[in-house]
Amino acid sequence: MSDLDFPSSAETLDGVSTVEVRTSANAALIPTIRAVASDLAARADFDLDAISDLRMAVDEACATLVDVAAPSSTLRCTFLVRQERIEVRAEVNAGQPDAAVSTDTFGWRVLQTLADDVQALRTPGVDGNGPTVGIRLDKHAGETSR
Amino acid sequence: MTEPVAPGSRPTVDTPPLRTSITAPRPGTALLDVHGEVDTLTAPALEQALRDLLADPGAGQLVVVDLTGVTFLASSGLAVLIRAAHRATERHLRLRLVAPSRAVRRPLQITGSDQLFDMYEDVSAAVV
Repeated sequence: MSDLDFPSSAETLDGVSTVEVRTSANAALIPTIRAVASDLAARADFDLDAISDLRMAVDEACATLVDVAAPSSTLRCTFLVRQERIEVRAEVNAGQPDAAVSTDTFGWRVLQTLADDVQALRTPGVDGNGPTVGIRLDKHAGETSR
Repeated sequence: MTEPVAPGSRPTVDTPPLRTSITAPRPGTALLDVHGEVDTLTAPALEQALRDLLADPGAGQLVVVDLTGVTFLASSGLAVLIRAAHRATERHLRLRLVAPSRAVRRPLQITGSDQLFDMYEDVSAAVV
């Protein structure tokens, strides 16, 4: 595997390149994930403010999820690099049956400001397992299109 | 750092600590110098440093926070700065923030939090 100059060369037929990062759901590993976010945005020609916004948004999403993650669980963060925008889906298996992403917090309001679109995701657990909770966010490459 | 790490979950990746120091570059001026990344792990250290800085400021004292060495500011760090601004206001003080880098300026601006501070690009201008 010497072919690392993605996204151009790693593009699939539908024009989306996918990068998935899995870590222990541990706040100490979030700097690694936000570094990946920065790198992908820079390679996708995001402007400098948009790179900064995506890095901060991914940090916020991951920090929120690590807070509700079950002990010794995994944080999965998937980057879908499209033309002019990056979609990020982050998720964890939550420890508590009633766990959900809090959307009445300062952090969530900041996330809404940073991303062009953001959604909290939740899939109920089966067989007594905790739910899967996640955050999906979208960020455009250019100066905020709002 | 004060954050305890649970046994067995100790990360193998080293998170660089946040470094803070408080000095008095001139009489009546307190300067907090911050270096590193301010995120959910290190925000408590910044909170403590700001509490120390604002513990006993005299009337008319200048209180300056130099964020020139900060390379990342998460919402947890923003929240700490905003709480400090409110504490300062209660004491009829206004914090001066030195934030020349995009990594700090952008989060403050996009959230409108920069309005709570007197913003400077350069520490030498802020401590005068």
